[in-house]
Amino acid sequence: MIGLTLVIVLPALAALVGLAAIDGIEIALVSVGGAAITFVATLIVAVPRFGTAGPVGGSWGHAWGTLNAPDVSFALRADSLSAALLLLAASVALLVQIYSVAYLADDPRYRAYASIVSLFSASMAAVVVADDMFVLLIGWEMMGVCSYLLIAHYWERSDARDGAAKAFLMTRTADVGLLIAIIVLGQAVGSYRISDVLDAVAAGDLSGSTITVTALLILLAAIGKSAQFPLHTWLPDAMPGPAPISALIHSATMVAAGVYLVARMEPLFLASETATIVLGLTAVITMLIAAAFALAQDDLKRVLAWSTVSQLAYMFAALSVGSVVAAIGHLLAHGAFKALLFLAAGSVAHAVGSTAFADMGGLRRPMTWTFATATIGFAALSGLVPLSGFFTKDAVVGAAYDAASGGGEGPAPSWLAWLIVVATLFTAVLTVAYATRAWRLVFSGERRGSETAHEAPALMRWPMVVLAVPTALMGLAVVRPGWLAGSEAEPVHSWVAVTSTAILAGVVAMTWLLGRAGDPATRLGPIRPVLAREFGVDAAYNRFIVAPTLAASGLVLATDRDVVDAYARGASSGAIDASRLLRLAQSRNVQTYVTVAVLGIALAAVVAGVTA
Amino acid sequence: MGWLSLVVLAPVLAAAAVWWRGARWSEVEAARVGVGASAVSLILAWLIWLTRDASAVFSGEVDHVWIPALDVHWHLGMDGISYCLVLLTTALSGLCCLSLARERTADEAGQPGRRSLLVLILVIESASLGVFTALDLVLFFICFELALIPMWFVIAGWGDPHDPAGRRRAATRFLLFTVLGSALMFVGFIGIAWQADTLQIDALSVSAPAFTGTLNTLLAVAIALGLAVKTPILPLHIWLPDAHAKAPTVGSVLLAGVFLKLGTYGFVRILVPIMPVQAAQIGPYLAAFGVAGIVYAALACLRQSDLKRLIAYSSVGHMGFVALGIGTLTASGLTAAVFISVAHGLITGLLFFLAGWLKERYGSSDLAALGHGMYRRSPWLAVAFCFGCLASLGVPGLAGFWGEMLALRGAYEVGPTMDRAGAWTLLGIAALGIVVTTAYFVGLIRRLLQGTPSPDETIRHLWSDDPQPGDQGPDDSGRIARPQVTDQLQEAEDDGVVDLDREQGIVTGVLAVSVFVLGIVPGLLSGTIAQAMPWIVGGIR
Repeated sequence: MIGLTLVIVLPALAALVGLAAIDGIEIALVSVGGAAITFVATLIVAVPRFGTAGPVGGSWGHAWGTLNAPDVSFALRADSLSAALLLLAASVALLVQIYSVAYLADDPRYRAYASIVSLFSASMAAVVVADDMFVLLIGWEMMGVCSYLLIAHYWERSDARDGAAKAFLMTRTADVGLLIAIIVLGQAVGSYRISDVLDAVAAGDLSGSTITVTALLILLAAIGKSAQFPLHTWLPDAMPGPAPISALIHSATMVAAGVYLVARMEPLFLASETATIVLGLTAVITMLIAAAFALAQDDLKRVLAWSTVSQLAYMFAALSVGSVVAAIGHLLAHGAFKALLFLAAGSVAHAVGSTAFADMGGLRRPMTWTFATATIGFAALSGLVPLSGFFTKDAVVGAAYDAASGGGEGPAPSWLAWLIVVATLFTAVLTVAYATRAWRLVFSGERRGSETAHEAPALMRWPMVVLAVPTALMGLAVVRPGWLAGSEAEPVHSWVAVTSTAILAGVVAMTWLLGRAGDPATRLGPIRPVLAREFGVDAAYNRFIVAPTLAASGLVLATDRDVVDAYARGASSGAIDASRLLRLAQSRNVQTYVTVAVLGIALAAVVAGVTA
Repeated sequence: MGWLSLVVLAPVLAAAAVWWRGARWSEVEAARVGVGASAVSLILAWLIWLTRDASAVFSGEVDHVWIPALDVHWHLGMDGISYCLVLLTTALSGLCCLSLARERTADEAGQPGRRSLLVLILVIESASLGVFTALDLVLFFICFELALIPMWFVIAGWGDPHDPAGRRRAATRFLLFTVLGSALMFVGFIGIAWQADTLQIDALSVSAPAFTGTLNTLLAVAIALGLAVKTPILPLHIWLPDAHAKAPTVGSVLLAGVFLKLGTYGFVRILVPIMPVQAAQIGPYLAAFGVAGIVYAALACLRQSDLKRLIAYSSVGHMGFVALGIGTLTASGLTAAVFISVAHGLITGLLFFLAGWLKERYGSSDLAALGHGMYRRSPWLAVAFCFGCLASLGVPGLAGFWGEMLALRGAYEVGPTMDRAGAWTLLGIAALGIVVTTAYFVGLIRRLLQGTPSPDETIRHLWSDDPQPGDQGPDDSGRIARPQVTDQLQEAEDDGVVDLDREQGIVTGVLAVSVFVLGIVPGLLSGTIAQAMPWIVGGIR
């Protein structure tokens, strides 16, 4: 319990102390040191939880007192699922803090930046070790706030301002669903503890409609946080934030918290066929459109953002067919390789001063380390045997196939499972295509742009090298049976391995050939602008939600003003026509009249009291 | 006499001292006396609460016959709800005095004497403390009225120095609405007293079930209307935006932090325990108008061009949650009403302090005149303002969240007054209001705190799409250029950065820390409120 509390409190303390630091070096020492200590504490807390060890937990009940029954308490609990997420968050946070020392070396807002990153770590830890749902909600929304502040780091720029506002607004809209779900579950179960809720689900104490409604409300929050269809548009617009933030928050941890939440509540989802189907369909739509959008982008970070959306959908697909192990396995592998890719993108941006493909090309030679590590990252993203991405994607496809052929754990109907098998395989094709295209546009060909590229400084290089290790090898560890409590061995499906390797080779070759004359995306022809506009979802939101709301706002202001005017006009014009008595009500005299009246009452009372 | 009487009277005694000593005290010294008196009240109230008799509902009770002819008593007592609001009132008034304990700014140079302003503030404080502790209907009413008159002077005399006519009009409208409201309320009080033959609130709540029939419904409606004006609840809020916008900084803070709570307190202390049957009849309407107010106020903020008006409208939204909570007549809802009252006092108090200081600095609270990039031009003020906005929009982990959560929970529980469809519809609309509230606060941060540091006349409202000068947006190809902020900021470093001074820093710090602590340990507040709940909800069936 103390360990669990420490993984929340330590980074929060680092955030506070960082604010009091004097110069850049002190800030760096505090934030990197804080992240390192947190990492060690996390190791101590998390490692014993893997395998068959049961959960640990406890509650600082009296810290919060009662908010009427059911009780809200500072209750924490950790099992192997929490431990996996804790380790991922703490290690990426540490690497990102180290990387940021160099990346933001000349930035006057480094102090605020480093403190917010520390605060973010505390919030993420609170989400994954929470047992009380309000602890989870606090961490959940504090992550949103940190993300909002960090996207707007360069607040002089309109795209950063707008992207931050959009991200916060869309995710918070979805979060209202979580708040209501918590209230409903609390009333139905009589407790706000996640463990009690899951016990009640297992015991069949909840009605079918309660389960379906709360599962859908929780799903809404997860869809918002993980940028799934139809709330997918905020994540690519969050890219004006500094690159290490994209690595930590907008790929490896916060956006993955949506997946964690559904995985944590998996028994609730599996108890409702409706929720399962909605979850599965959302995942299918999201993975396909996001991968397609990634093909048509002109900006490296935007490609990676859409790729993140698409890969998160893989995890949701796995959850919809009842496989937590496959989902979390892919979450961990994706956390490693996507953090690596974003750090590499930051390294490229640091070198050429831009994240646009137009300013890149031919970076293979000047940036050897970035090239080597990013290549491993892209290969893992594409699912190349035997890198991590291959094993975890294989597990997702395999789980869907098992469900389709009748061996699944959840209530997902077999048509949905087949749809997921097809969608995941087709998305794998698109993934290879956009990864190959991006890799080629950045590293091969002629050097475009004017700035001379240089390799990143050591503080930025080493975090990438460190991340390349799990990117390459984690797959072997993740498929080891029993690492997640209660999980069985996840067999490698040989037909998936053969198929995906064939797809990979074919698509790489095709993309390469198509791109001989430049950008392979030009071969998309008339489809490209449609994809680049991202199906006009944002335009639709503007037209059907934002514009009417602003119009309503104008109407409200006009109403209020007119009512006030009418009152003022009535008071003066009425007085002209009316009798002398009414004339007293003219606004000029009313104040005197009323003042005298009220003072009179008060005085009379006082005098009566004194003389009595 | 009783210690509780001293809690109520300490500020007014200090006011008398300031008046008596006149010009022999400097304005700064006089303000410090005010801080001291508020501190005395606060500490005394705290001691009374610490040493209370756990079996009694009201601690520190004082009961003397005051006007024998009318059987009016000087009857004071403090339960958990009173205690929370007493602490809020003394703390906010003390901070108001503290913010006056510094030299005048250029904008305030032409105003009447500050000692008079202090006297008025202290009188308002005493009157409000009287309302929050009164256990006699007439005493309650007198204190309710006594708080109004000084506020009229504060707004009319020390309000917006650039608009003398406007501030008098705003002050008069404020007085008209609230005095008419409390006149209605007084009619209700007389009706109750006439039937029950007592004015004592604790005795009245015992005989509560005796009040039935159409006449009592009308009396309850009169009381509710009077309180609704003060709270305010849509559509009786018309006086509020003007009064807040034209009032001086301390006036706005006291209006939002203390005055609005007189209304919510009246609902919880008088209407619900004394007329539970009628409260159950009124409840659904109260909740419906409250929820409508949440959305209406949020929409009004979305295209607001004046900072102080915006914060004023946001108060209407918060009070909508209070009305929703009271309207459900559940323990959760009533706890929410008091919790929000305190949290709103701290959060909106903070926002009004900051907005007022900006107005004093730039001579206007128009967003166009204030310009952009406050993060650069006034870093700590801007950070505190951002904190206040986040707290006000209800981010979990800060004080603003728990009250909203409890109000929504009250609606979900349905309670004795409504049917399920109605209550859950209100819950849904309130949730929608949360979203729009987020939108306008995020818009405000984007408009005022972020952006290239500069005043700019072109932008009309929070979400207008006009580009800002010096924007480094994406270029035509849609790609994102790596920002070149460093040099630009280095230059801005040499510009005049005007930030919070010492007193302002203390005021901001105290409020921000309170908001944070209540967000992490809501039990401090909800536990205290819970002490009073059985007495409040006892009559509801």
